[in-house]
Amino acid sequence: MGNCFKRSTTDDISLLRGTDSVRETSSDPVGPPSYQEALSVQSTPPLYHPSPSVTRSVTQLTEEEQIKIAKRIGLIQHLPTGKYDGCKKIRECVICMGEFMVGDALRYLPCMHTYHVTCIDDWLMRSLTCPSCMEPVDAALLTSYETN
Amino acid sequence: MSEPQSALLLRKQLAELNKNPVEGFSAGLIDDNDIYRWEVLIIGPPDTLYEGGFFKCHLYFPKEYPLRPPKMKFVTEIWHPNIDKNGDVCISILHEPGDDKFGYEKASERWLPVHTVETILISVISMLADPNDESPANVDAAKEWREAYTEFKRKVARCVRKSQEQEEC
Ligand SMILES: [Zn+2]
Ligand SMILES: [Zn+2]
Repeated sequence: MGNCFKRSTTDDISLLRGTDSVRETSSDPVGPPSYQEALSVQSTPPLYHPSPSVTRSVTQLTEEEQIKIAKRIGLIQHLPTGKYDGCKKIRECVICMGEFMVGDALRYLPCMHTYHVTCIDDWLMRSLTCPSCMEPVDAALLTSYETN
Repeated sequence: MSEPQSALLLRKQLAELNKNPVEGFSAGLIDDNDIYRWEVLIIGPPDTLYEGGFFKCHLYFPKEYPLRPPKMKFVTEIWHPNIDKNGDVCISILHEPGDDKFGYEKASERWLPVHTVETILISVISMLADPNDESPANVDAAKEWREAYTEFKRKVARCVRKSQEQEEC
């Protein structure tokens, strides 16, 4: 549990991926991102990016920034997740350039692009756009709310 | 042996570039023990003023790569509107995306975590062929490029010559 980098084989790719990803902190990779937990627990203050180039710990955030980040976490949590089942249509996460392994926790964006949860969530916390097609993620989500 | 993802990703790219070199540049590390600092040799693109030149550049990757872009600097002297006089390259894909609320239409031109050494270098090589004078990093070069093209050409030719001499020794 909690490790999406399964080392069932010892080929080049799993060797390159090495042991655990440093960002592998969530106890449930398919569930909501660990950020919210961290935001409420505050045991080891995590870093946030109210803007992509700004890095702050939770205690340094203004109220406005906290609201913005909370909203963003909420949006990210609404994006569907799943486990890679070996489907041949999607093979690689373009952020870490790693092939998907069966059981990897994936996140599906509204534009249909798919990434590792750990890889894309870190990016979405900085910028709510799909790195492959630049489609703004929140706009797509908001339209789907409105139509529902 | 727990290496950050950024180091693994860069190592993977280096291995790939060594195995399948890309036309127009060659890539390696400044220091074999530091995967975050690259040295790249750009071959002046054919049919441009920079043709025949060999331009050495350094790329400095942050630990947060690919979430944040590297910085790029020409070590070899070069005269170009989008490269400042210290050699620092100023192109939009090396800039972090701005605030989400306002940056949609420009997001495609900004940094994205799918950029690699190869895609960065392809952008830089196309910038050499096709300067963007809207936001020049070297105002004098941009002005010459627009208003005194002969003088601009002369300065570029001098850099190309110098770069060839440096490569020989
Ligand atoms: Zn990934
Ligand atoms: Zn997409």
